[in-house]
Amino acid sequence: MKTLSLKRRHFLAGSAATIGLGMVGLPTAWAEGKTLKIRNYADIQNLDPAFNTAQADAVITDSLLLGLVRMKTGTEWGWEKEAAAEIEQVDPTHVRFKLKSGLKWSNGYGALTAEDVKYSFERVANPKVESPYIDDWATLDHVEVHDELSGTIVLKEPFAPLWTTTLQGWAGKIVCKAAMEKLPDQKFTTTMPAVSGPYMIKEWVPKQRLTLVRNPDYSGGETAYYDQIEVYPIEDEKAAEIAFESRDLDFTDISLSSLKTYKDKGLQDAKITEHPALSYVWFGQNQENPALKDPKVREAIQKAIDVNTVLDAAYFGGATRATGIIAPGLVGHREANLTKFDPDAAREELKAAGAEGLKVKLSFLNKAEWVAAAQVIQANLADVGVDVTLEPLDSGTFWTIGDEKSGNGWKDLQLLLGRFSMNPDPAWATAWFTCKQVGVWDWERFCSKDFDEMHEAALRELDPAKRGEMYVKMQDIMEKSGSYLFLTHEATAAIYRNTVAPALKPDGTAVLWRFGAAA
Amino acid sequence: MWLYALQRFGMALLVCVLSVTVLFCIAYVIPGDPTAIALGPRATPAMREALRIRMGLGEPIYIQLYHFFSSLLRGDLGVDVWSNRPVIDIVKETLPKTMILAVTGLGWAAALGIPLGCYSAIRRNKLDDRIIGIFSIAMISTPSFLTAIYALLVFAVTLNWLPAIGAGEPGNFGDQVVHLILPAFAIGFAWVGYLSRLVRATMLEVLNETHIRFSRAFGLPEWKITLKYALKIAVLPTITLLGMAYGGLLSSAVFAEIIFNRPGVGQSALAAVNTRNYPVMMGLTLSTIFVFTMCTLIADLLVAALDPKIRKGL
Repeated sequence: MKTLSLKRRHFLAGSAATIGLGMVGLPTAWAEGKTLKIRNYADIQNLDPAFNTAQADAVITDSLLLGLVRMKTGTEWGWEKEAAAEIEQVDPTHVRFKLKSGLKWSNGYGALTAEDVKYSFERVANPKVESPYIDDWATLDHVEVHDELSGTIVLKEPFAPLWTTTLQGWAGKIVCKAAMEKLPDQKFTTTMPAVSGPYMIKEWVPKQRLTLVRNPDYSGGETAYYDQIEVYPIEDEKAAEIAFESRDLDFTDISLSSLKTYKDKGLQDAKITEHPALSYVWFGQNQENPALKDPKVREAIQKAIDVNTVLDAAYFGGATRATGIIAPGLVGHREANLTKFDPDAAREELKAAGAEGLKVKLSFLNKAEWVAAAQVIQANLADVGVDVTLEPLDSGTFWTIGDEKSGNGWKDLQLLLGRFSMNPDPAWATAWFTCKQVGVWDWERFCSKDFDEMHEAALRELDPAKRGEMYVKMQDIMEKSGSYLFLTHEATAAIYRNTVAPALKPDGTAVLWRFGAAA
Repeated sequence: MWLYALQRFGMALLVCVLSVTVLFCIAYVIPGDPTAIALGPRATPAMREALRIRMGLGEPIYIQLYHFFSSLLRGDLGVDVWSNRPVIDIVKETLPKTMILAVTGLGWAAALGIPLGCYSAIRRNKLDDRIIGIFSIAMISTPSFLTAIYALLVFAVTLNWLPAIGAGEPGNFGDQVVHLILPAFAIGFAWVGYLSRLVRATMLEVLNETHIRFSRAFGLPEWKITLKYALKIAVLPTITLLGMAYGGLLSSAVFAEIIFNRPGVGQSALAAVNTRNYPVMMGLTLSTIFVFTMCTLIADLLVAALDPKIRKGL
């Protein structure tokens, strides 16, 4: 009995110690102050701007590295100077720049110079480096360095996306030449050798948290408000919403399905922000598949689908219908679709084409919104006599179904729901539908000589009006092929504490270092 | 006994090798190209081909399997396709977190379930036995993800007593304990019911055995008969079940890790499968299989050590 009571005493003492330690831990875990707690939809994988794997990386890189210019926050797409004190396009193939004086690298790497700019841009453009963003600098010839702070970007030929995406995007970020040259293969993944931006990484606990703190060497002008930003990788949107409600986060993206719920129940100490997104979602038809070879059949299928109902089911009224692959606010946005929902005409056209009782398969990513969209499409097509089998696929399988290098699956591909994310230049929308992309990313196997020629010409056309006309025509060609039905550009929504003033790009992408306190 | 332990250990290793081989073959036949996912749409076909070669994906499966096992013998599990981090580091980061979650979940379930089962058996067919029975069945019937979501909504969102996400501040033991409470509660909840029912059933069987009746006839106190003699025998099938349960909890930790956004093997393995990150996928699977096999092995050895009948039969 004596032994038993001793054990019990030990147990009680141990429990008390555990609780006590827990209490000691609480203030650290829940400390407030000028700390921003924000969700990232995935953990960082590669912070090297030449190899960023996704927006989840880029949103961090944005606070660590400077570019000559940066994307403006707000509701309209545009750029403003960042590391550049002066920058101008002197002719279609030359851009002269002068850096701000006093910009410094962390870890004792000295001043940010024009040599760093040359190294960074030419590195991405170098095929040996194998950067996926090589096309951003497709026409770069070289960067000429005049002195420590100034230089000229020399292009082989005019390149319209230079100002809209290249210079203000990942490929326009400046890395530290001296630090990079010390690295094996001159590459890094998650440990950045030197930073020049407003923040630096204090600590990264994989899959758990990334902590950014002010960069003491930053001298780029506008300063950051928060002393520390804690970035939590949370893949599941619903988990992030619960974390926000339990006050573990100050800002998070939310799903469109939750948007209405939040609006209906009202928020006491939080606000919601909604933004039109740039991505594009479409319904595609493989025009080389025997069942869909006849353009009349494809056109009939286009007419049989009620896009508005599809969007209501998938996005709960949170997304509007797209008129093409180029979102509103960008050069080349189309005002209207050519195809209208007309099930009677669809029935007649299917009958005329001898395709009554057609059986096809619709492949899509196994996510709630796609499943809902696919079910509406299935019902719409059943209404005109087309029998659709649904094929939901996991992401690993889905993203290779139309790829010729991944086997013969592309031959069986018939209907699909596709979604591509976008940069704010129309060239990044049309790039995936040229003839050389057939069997790579163009899974509808759409190929048009006119389309390709216009895509190339639009890349070199610097007059926005003329460029816009070209992109409108290209979207017309896509729709007339019968292989595409444009669904939506989606939308983004976020929720944040009313003490926070978020800084967002027009598509809702967070610019962490510019977050501030609400007035 | 030592020979038995050696035989069981050899068998456990064989199970590991066979399981990993089967999983390797499954990974080989499932559709999906990791290079397309890893490099994204902006990669040229040449870049994808280069990565495919670096990953050894162009080689026949038996060569890939040979490379995998020979690297494994050198303690090398390969590198993460995306971040270039050694897989062994990812295993070291995630496996302990999942194991701690599973141990805690099973620990509190056993701490509550076994005494409840004992009490139920002693109070057979009385009101309190029936109430415990109803609660046990209710606990078994409640899906774990539902327990997790309700626990989150009540304790994290409404009452704000406990954190909703994460595994706690590294190096801060107290914070890690606080972050462990909800997920461990969620995954252990149903096991309280299972264990209580199992212990009750075996205890009832044991309490009717001759030696127990003999002890009663000798006038030994009821608590001594229950705890010292009956429970010692009744707990044997429970130990075997706990070994299996631990493996099961490693799997059900997946949903807890997703709902509570807690880093661990489950969350990382799911992401690796979705992105066809084969080295990470195989590394995490291998480590989980190894832990599961070792748990069942330990349970078997423990039962053999505790049960003289089994020991004599070896």
